[in-house]
Amino acid sequence: MADYLVWLIPTLPLLAAAWIGLGFVAGWSRGEQAETMIGRLVIGSSLLSLLLLSLLGADAVLYGTPGQVVCGTWFSSGDYRIPISFLLDSLGLGMGVLVLILCLLTQLFSVNYMHRERGYPRFFMLLSLFTGGMLLIVLAGNAVLTFVGWELAGLSSYLLIGYSYDRTVATVNATRAFVTNRVGDAGFLFSIALAYAWIGSVEWPSILEYSSRPEALTAGLIGIGFVTAALVKSAQVPFSPWIGRALEGPTPSSAVFYGAVMVHAGVYLLIRIHPLISETPLIMYLLVLLGTLTALYGWLSGLVQTDVKSSLMFSTTAQVGLMFLECGLGWFELAAWHLATHAIWRTYQFLHAPALMHLATRPARPVAKWLRRIPALHAAAMQRFWLDAITDWLLLRPTRSLAQDLQDFDQRVINRIIGLPDRTATLSSLSQWEARKQGQFRQEGEIGSARGLVGRLLQWFATLLYWFEEHLVLKGGSEGLESAIKLIGRYLQQVEQLLSQPRYLLLMIMVTFVVIL
Amino acid sequence: MGILTFLLILPLFGAALIAALPSGSDRLIRVVALGTATLTLLLAWGLVFEFDSTQPGLQFLEIHRWNPRLGTSFSLGIDGISLPMLLLATLLSLIAIMASSSINREVKGYYLLMLVLEAAMMGVFMAQDWALFYLFWELTLIPLFFLIDRWGGQHRHGAALNFFLYTMGGSVFLLISLLVLFDSVPGGSFGMTAIATAAKSLPEDTQVLIFLGFLLGFGVKMPIFPIHGWLPLAHVEAPSPVSILLSGILLKMGSYGLIRVAGVLPQGVGALQGILVAFALVSLVYGGLLAWRQSDLKAMIAYSSVSHMGVVLFGIAALNFAGLEGALLQMVAHGLVAGAMFLLIGLLYERTGTRDINHYSSLVRVTPRFAFFTTLTFVAAVGLPGTVGFVAELHALIGGFQRWGWLAVVLSLGVMISAAYAIRTVARLFTGPVRAGIHKVADLKGNEMFAATVLAAGIILLGLFPAPVLDLMSASVAQFSLVFDGGGNG
Repeated sequence: MADYLVWLIPTLPLLAAAWIGLGFVAGWSRGEQAETMIGRLVIGSSLLSLLLLSLLGADAVLYGTPGQVVCGTWFSSGDYRIPISFLLDSLGLGMGVLVLILCLLTQLFSVNYMHRERGYPRFFMLLSLFTGGMLLIVLAGNAVLTFVGWELAGLSSYLLIGYSYDRTVATVNATRAFVTNRVGDAGFLFSIALAYAWIGSVEWPSILEYSSRPEALTAGLIGIGFVTAALVKSAQVPFSPWIGRALEGPTPSSAVFYGAVMVHAGVYLLIRIHPLISETPLIMYLLVLLGTLTALYGWLSGLVQTDVKSSLMFSTTAQVGLMFLECGLGWFELAAWHLATHAIWRTYQFLHAPALMHLATRPARPVAKWLRRIPALHAAAMQRFWLDAITDWLLLRPTRSLAQDLQDFDQRVINRIIGLPDRTATLSSLSQWEARKQGQFRQEGEIGSARGLVGRLLQWFATLLYWFEEHLVLKGGSEGLESAIKLIGRYLQQVEQLLSQPRYLLLMIMVTFVVIL
Repeated sequence: MGILTFLLILPLFGAALIAALPSGSDRLIRVVALGTATLTLLLAWGLVFEFDSTQPGLQFLEIHRWNPRLGTSFSLGIDGISLPMLLLATLLSLIAIMASSSINREVKGYYLLMLVLEAAMMGVFMAQDWALFYLFWELTLIPLFFLIDRWGGQHRHGAALNFFLYTMGGSVFLLISLLVLFDSVPGGSFGMTAIATAAKSLPEDTQVLIFLGFLLGFGVKMPIFPIHGWLPLAHVEAPSPVSILLSGILLKMGSYGLIRVAGVLPQGVGALQGILVAFALVSLVYGGLLAWRQSDLKAMIAYSSVSHMGVVLFGIAALNFAGLEGALLQMVAHGLVAGAMFLLIGLLYERTGTRDINHYSSLVRVTPRFAFFTTLTFVAAVGLPGTVGFVAELHALIGGFQRWGWLAVVLSLGVMISAAYAIRTVARLFTGPVRAGIHKVADLKGNEMFAATVLAAGIILLGLFPAPVLDLMSASVAQFSLVFDGGGNG
C-alpha cells in the first residue's frame, strides 16, 4: 500500500491553512463570498486526509500495521539527522482516525456557526492548522516531528483563545495559556535533547526500545520531560488554571481543543511512551497523585460552576485526571479506551452547549448540600483552589520585579554609557514645536559632540587633535611658513635699501678693495 | 611618434587650440575642452584592449634620447601599476571639465589650464625617466596654482600660495634624493630601470637617507599626517572641479611615486617599514577624527582624504602582494569616491551658496537624486560591501594583517570613525525637520546626472566585479612584491 503517501495526511490541512492565509494577504479569501470556498477547502482537505488515513487503516486491519515509515530526511547536520518518519501502529492510526473525524465534525459544524463572523477566514485557517498539528502529534514517528505538531496545536490554541483580540480579557487569557504551555514545551525539548545525547536518535521506536535497558534512571529522566509536557497540555494540577481561561475562543474551537482533542494529547503522549515510564515507580506514583488531585479539583470546581461551558470544562478536566490516574496505575489500554469514548462524548456536549439554553427544560441544579455545609471547601472550589494566585505570587511577581530592576539598570547605566538618546530629544514645549514648524529649531546636537562613553572619548580626542591642527599645523605650519617668508622678505628688502644708499655702496666697494688687496 | 606620446600631446593640442580661439566664445571653448578630454579618455581606455595584463613589465615603451650628457631621456611606458592611474586620470579630468559649467569668468584661461593639468598628470604616470617624472611633477603645480589662485573661494590667494610652498618644499628633498641616485649610476643616468639596478647595490644607510628624502617629497602630496597642512585650505578654496582633480588624482601622484621609489630602494623601505605604518595609522585616525569635527562639507571631505590615503600608505607599508594591491585599489576607489563627493557637494554648493552642514536639512524631499548619489558615495567611502571601497580596504587589511598582525585593528577603528561622520553627514543633509529656504534647491540636471552616474557605476561595478581591475594590476604587482620577499622585510 501507499505508505509513502502518509506524509500527505498532516500536510493537506496545513496546505489548506497556508492557502487561506495567502489568500487573505492577496485578497481572494476575504469577505462573505469567500466563505463557501474556505469551508469547502478546509473540509475537503480533511476529507481527503481521512480517506487516505482510512485506506491505511483498512490496510493495517487486513495485513497488519506497517510500523515505522520513513519518507525522507527533514534536515541533517554532521551526524545529527532528523528524518520525516511516521509511526503507523494501532495506537497512532486509531488516534489519527479519531482526531480527524472529530476535527471534521467540528469544521462542518463551524461552517454555519461562524457564518458572517468577521474572523471567518482566520478561524478556519487556525482550525485547519490545528488539524494538521494534531495529526502530526499522533502520527509522527519521532519526537521532533511530534514536537512540531505539539507547537502547531499550541500556537493555534493561543491564536483562537485570542480570537476576539480587541477584548483585553481574551488577549490576557491567551497569553496566560500560551506561557503556561511553554513550561511543557521546555520539558519536551529537554527530553528530546537527552534522548539525542544518550540514545543518539529521536525516533520513537529507538527511544522506547531504550527503556528495556537496565539504566532505569536515564530512562526515567527522559520520561520526566515528556510527562511534564503531557501534564501541562492536559491541564493537570498544578498547571490546570490555563484551561479555565481558554474558553474565550469561539465554542467550536473550545469543543475541539479543550473538550475533545488537544486536552487528550497529553494522555496520548503518556500511552505512546508507556514503556519508558512504567519501569520508573516514582513517575507512576506522581501520575497517580496528580491524576487524583486533578480529578478532585475538576469535580469540586465543576460542582460550583454556573455557566455551561465552564462546568463542561471542569468535568473534562476531572475525566482527564482519571485517565492520568489510570496511566499511573499502569492501565494504559483502559486509558486509551477512556480517551476515545470521552472525546466523542465531549465533542457532542460542547457543540451542543450554545443551544443548550433552548433545549433545557429545567433550571440548573443548585450546589450540592453537603458542599454548602463545608464553607472552606466551597470557597476553595469557587476560587478554583487559588492556583492562579499561587502561580502569580511564586513566579510572576519575582520575574516582573527582576525585569523591572534590569530595565532600570539598562536605562540608568547601560544607556548612559552607550549614549542612546534619552527623553530629552523630544520636543518639550509649544514654542519649540512652533519653531520646528517654521524650520528654525534644531533638534540635533552640534557637529563634533557625541553622547555616551565612546562618543565622549571620540569627542575629547577629536577636540584635542583639532586644537593641534589649528595651532600647530595650520597656524604654525601653513600660515607660519607664509609669515616667515614675509619676514625674511622684509629684512632682505631693508638690506637691499641700505645697499642702494651711496654711503653704504661706497663702503662696500672699499671693503671689496681691502679684501682684494 | 608612439601612442603614449600622442596621448600626452592630445590635451596640450586642445589647450593650444583654446589659446587660439577668441576669448569671448565661451561655449565653443567649453566644447573644445570637452571634446579634447573625451578623445583623451577614449584613447587611454583604448589602451586597455592592447594591454597584455599577463605580462608584468613595461609596455608601449618609447625612449628618445634627450640630453646624453646628463643621461636624461624622453621615455614613456606603462605597466599594471600606472595604467589604472592613467585611466582614472582621464576619467576624472573629463568629469571635472563636465562639472565646470558654473565657471563663467575668464573661461578661456580656465579650460586651457585644465587641459595642461591633465597632460601633466598623465605625464607623471607614464614617465619612465626620473628627470621627466620630476618635470611633469613640477608642471602640475603651475596650472594648479593659477586655478586655485584665480577661480577659488574667499581665501584663495593664501591657499594657493600655501599649496605651492608646501609642494615646492617637498620637491626640494625629492630633487636632492634624485640627484644622489643619479650620482650612484655609473656614467650617470636618470632612466628608471638604470637607477633601479644601480640603487640596489647601495648600502642600507644610504638607501634609508635617500628614501627619507623621497618620503618628504611624496608625503606632502599624499598627504601624510604632519605635512598635510596645505590640503584642507587648498581643497576648501579650490573651485569644485579642481577639488575633484586635487583629491582624485593629485594625491595619487604622491602614493604612486612612493610605490615606484619603494621598488628602487627595497632595503631602505624595509628599514623604515615600521615608521611608514605608524604614519599611516596616525594619518588614518587623525584625518577621520578631524573630518568628524568639521561642519564645512568640503573641509570634511578633505580630511577624509587624509584618512583614506592613510589606508593607501598602510597597504604600501605592508610590502606584500595583498597590501600593495589593496593600496592600488584604494587609490582607484578613493579617486572615484572623492571625485564623486566633491562633484556632488560642489554642485550643492553652487545651488545653495553654503558649505555649512548646519544649514542643510531634509534635502531628500526636494532633491531625491542628490540624496541617492550622495548616500551611495558616502557609504562607499565607509567601505560598504558591494562598493569598490570595501574590496580595497579588505585587500589592505589582509596585507596589513599578514605583515603586522593585530595592528590592523587600527584600520578597522579608522573605518568606524569614517562611518560615524559619513552617516552623520547623510543624516544631516537629507533627513530631519523641513527647513525654510531649503525647499527651492534644484535636483541634478542632465549632464550633472550623467557625470554622477558614471562615477557611481564605477563605484558599484568595481565593488561587485573587482576582478578586471585586479587582473590588470596583479601581474605587475606580483613581480613588484617579489623584490621585498627576498630583501628588506625579512
